[in-house]
Amino acid sequence: MAVTAVLRLELTADSGGGRAETVGDFAEFVRMSMPGLLRYGHALTGNPHDAADLVQSVLEKVGSRWVSVQRKGDDPLAYVRRAMANTHISIWRRRRRENLVADLPDSGVVAPELSRLENEPLWQALRSLPPRQRAVVVLRYYENLSEAEIANALGISCGTVKSQSSKAMASLRTRLGKD
Amino acid sequence: MDLDDELRRLFSDDRLDVHTTPDATDAVVRGAARRRRRRSAMTTAFAVVVLIGSGAALTQLPRSDDTAGDLLPTSTSSASATTTTTTVSTFTSTAIVTVDPPPSSNGSSTAKTESGQPIKTTTPAIAAPPQPQAQQGQFGSLKLGMSEADALATGSLIEPSSAADPENRCKAYATKSVPDANAVIISPARGIVRITVPSYAKTPKGITVGSTVDQVKAAYQNATQSGSTLFAKMAATPAWSYVFETDGSSVTAVLMRLDANDCSTV
Repeated sequence: MAVTAVLRLELTADSGGGRAETVGDFAEFVRMSMPGLLRYGHALTGNPHDAADLVQSVLEKVGSRWVSVQRKGDDPLAYVRRAMANTHISIWRRRRRENLVADLPDSGVVAPELSRLENEPLWQALRSLPPRQRAVVVLRYYENLSEAEIANALGISCGTVKSQSSKAMASLRTRLGKD
Repeated sequence: MDLDDELRRLFSDDRLDVHTTPDATDAVVRGAARRRRRRSAMTTAFAVVVLIGSGAALTQLPRSDDTAGDLLPTSTSSASATTTTTTVSTFTSTAIVTVDPPPSSNGSSTAKTESGQPIKTTTPAIAAPPQPQAQQGQFGSLKLGMSEADALATGSLIEPSSAADPENRCKAYATKSVPDANAVIISPARGIVRITVPSYAKTPKGITVGSTVDQVKAAYQNATQSGSTLFAKMAATPAWSYVFETDGSSVTAVLMRLDANDCSTV
């Protein structure tokens, strides 16, 4: 039908050119950054499933406005990491009722994919931290960011970074001391 | 023990690696494209044609299975899983009145849905001023503009929500009828700004996942197109539009979106 043919033509014209280039560029970014982001997400969330969900949803959002993200001139990777930390903190706020019990029952089966770091006392201790404290620890020791950079990334003051960081370190020490 | 060193050691541990499936990149790129289409600007809505007769609610019908397994992640939901009230639309579309048809719309009278339901054929008759159809922005118990608290009180949303934008302003919920995490987007200022309609539901004009672009244009002759997405403005307060995402030839998702939406990624 003629109508269909006309529509197809319009669509083809619309999806060509710059759009295709942008998509290709974004796909390349995803391919390159995915393994690192998943590691970072794993450190941030404490488990690989949440890491994969977090990376997927943040990358989709960033990709949907890829042109403007690039135009800002920031390092897109830094932007993604920042969005991941903030998204994770906000998701956790909604879920915390489920996570009040920080200690896992010591009987029971741990899913194999969760168990690779499960025996590490420090990993278990990190699990007990509220996500903002954990994010501060991850940004500092995983990303090697300065206090000012962490404050900027999380949108909080330097003072808050300091206090969150010292609270986090204190409770990690306490928990590890108990073992 | 030096905790700093311990932390650095832990964070450089190989066991922190998460293995990905080879199609992970494609999934992200597809998801990003989907989000972009949903957000696509709908600034140039203008009506050419009036549709007389509209209903106040969507009619939920079991989907025909010839469209199963297509692009929507929601295609596994079944009619029985929904708690929204099935509202049978109480009208029959009576006539589509064409006023100054756009050059390419002359084929509308021949359109048929895949399920064999004829779209009401056009009977050019009365010249009426072009205007969008009147229909409230409501699906089941969820209404566009509804506050988060009211929306949660309907029991249709599945908690927890997730962030709907990188700025963490808007929230996204799955619903009992649409398992997608972004089924409903809620703005702190505007309330519900977007509802994804289950894939088995039909609009009062008979459009559903699997309908062709031609059928959408025939049913919503004021529809505007941006990329592969079509927008059909509805006359209601607050103003809203149907957003029909397509793969270029047929509809892959039907969304209801508040025109005054203020969530950056919606």
